[in-house]
Amino acid sequence: MKNLFKFALGGVVMLVASMATASDDVTIQLKWVTQTQFAGYYVAQDKGFYKEEGLNVTIKPGGPDIGPMQVLAGGGADVAVDWMPSALAAREKGLSAVNIAQPFKSSGMMLTCRKDRGVNSVSDLKGKNLGVWYYGNEYPFLSWMNKLGLSVDGGADGVTVFKQGWDILPLTQGDATCVSTMAYNEYWQVLAEGLKPSELTVFKYETEGVATLEDGLYVLEENLKDAAFKDKMVRFVRASMKGWKYAEQNPAEAAEIVVDNDDSGAQTVEHNTTQMGEIIKLTAGSNGALDPADYQRTVDSLMTGGSDPVITKMPEGAWTHEITDLALK
Amino acid sequence: MNSFFLISIIFWIAAWIINIFIGQSALTKTKMVLPPILFGVSLLLVWEASISAFDVSPVILPAPSLVFVKLISSVPILWVDFVQTFVKGALSGYIFGCSAAFVVALLADRFKFLERGLLPIGTFMAALPIIGTAPILVRWFGFDWESKSAVVTVMVFFPMLINTIQGLQMSDKIHRDLMQTYNATSFQTLIKLRLAAAMPFIFNGLKICSTLALIGAIVAEFFGSPIKGIGFRISTEVGRFALDMVWAEITIAAITGSLFYGGIVLLEKVVTFWHPSQRGRSE
Repeated sequence: MKNLFKFALGGVVMLVASMATASDDVTIQLKWVTQTQFAGYYVAQDKGFYKEEGLNVTIKPGGPDIGPMQVLAGGGADVAVDWMPSALAAREKGLSAVNIAQPFKSSGMMLTCRKDRGVNSVSDLKGKNLGVWYYGNEYPFLSWMNKLGLSVDGGADGVTVFKQGWDILPLTQGDATCVSTMAYNEYWQVLAEGLKPSELTVFKYETEGVATLEDGLYVLEENLKDAAFKDKMVRFVRASMKGWKYAEQNPAEAAEIVVDNDDSGAQTVEHNTTQMGEIIKLTAGSNGALDPADYQRTVDSLMTGGSDPVITKMPEGAWTHEITDLALK
Repeated sequence: MNSFFLISIIFWIAAWIINIFIGQSALTKTKMVLPPILFGVSLLLVWEASISAFDVSPVILPAPSLVFVKLISSVPILWVDFVQTFVKGALSGYIFGCSAAFVVALLADRFKFLERGLLPIGTFMAALPIIGTAPILVRWFGFDWESKSAVVTVMVFFPMLINTIQGLQMSDKIHRDLMQTYNATSFQTLIKLRLAAAMPFIFNGLKICSTLALIGAIVAEFFGSPIKGIGFRISTEVGRFALDMVWAEITIAAITGSLFYGGIVLLEKVVTFWHPSQRGRSE
């Protein structure tokens, strides 16, 4: 009996002690694999910014066919990095995703085409073979084709679209005319395969006027009603933006940190340093708060989809400043 | 719990009891059809009722009514996907793969060294996972239906080969002796005796390959396809949270697979009418 009492007391003491030093757990789902596209979060973790805010953050890398919105829906993460078109489409289908922060101000999405396959300008796209990413990434492309009046069903007056895998080999080794690339990732893979910039015609979605907002932080609306969760997110966003600003100032170090955190072993410091340089161009001008004008531009672009709009009605409550107002004070 | 849910549970229990009764009574053709129908209907009812009773989000699992509405309103898309995946991809690969396997089996039967050499290679090829071979074949044959056909060919080749070789060994010694007394050439023996005796095994192979063909064509589309096809539609509509479309495509694939398999079974009944499995009441 005496021993039992001692054990029980010891157990209670340990429990109380662990609660006293416990920090809040946050799980973030990234949109793609570990790379400097997500430098802010890895830097914040490595440099102790999360720990300063009393947060214990688990960073889940994404990958082929991992949809951040799906993970959010299934409860696999508290907050997810995703692009606005995907989040708005999910919202319309019944998943209440809300944008709480927007670290990326500009879009890095591009269509990269080969000059030797006949594309020198937008008017040359007719009748060509274009690679497009799906799983939430197809929306800016579909909006653009609608704007150009090109049907995606093929034929001489339209374009033939194929679902591109997560690489650029159809351009370099296959017979695709164009492939989708990110300015900070796949474009450099194309160059690494031996094609020179002078051999490529590049269409930037920003220049074409169909850019949509990319990497932003999304949470489920019902979770935001919980005050403890809201407070966690405020601290998380604050520390993450601190991480982003540090990465912008120290790109080489950020690349090292990211590669150190890569479990797959596939990332290189060289590739990530180049990428960091490109990412800085996209995060420039944002302190983390979503600019309502940018949001409106994205929504307008998505709603002018013609016969197959990405979203059919104006979203309501799809973003909030309540987190960034407190985080960036 | 709302009343609809309660009714569906009661219906399910009632259907279960009816099925038990039927199972214990003498089986007639009509009685054999009733249990699957009752089971299917009660499953759909419980599914529909559970969605509304437990407020399941359509993003996780849509109700059968939603799926049905989506199905009938998307017939053009579903038809295009069906033609792309089944007719162009699965069927062409199935015909090509099974014919090739049949011819190789005949050769292996004729030349024993071929059989000893080919079977280990065939086993190896059969062990290659489709998840690995599909991207490679898409690289080689391009994004369109040709690569899907190639994947299906690789998938159906080995099962058909094994079944045909096995079937060709099925004729009784006494029957082969009889052919020898008729001074039949080996070719005549093959055509008149051994192929007929092999038919049950050949059809077994054809039935196995029919399901493999559809699976192969759908999965191969995950690795690169033009923007049509059952596999393409399923993977991209999941990404768009349009789960009702996903289930509509699944329904089409299930119906196609069942009809394909059923067609082969009917053909088997005609060709192998003499076999014991087709004559008595099969269990």
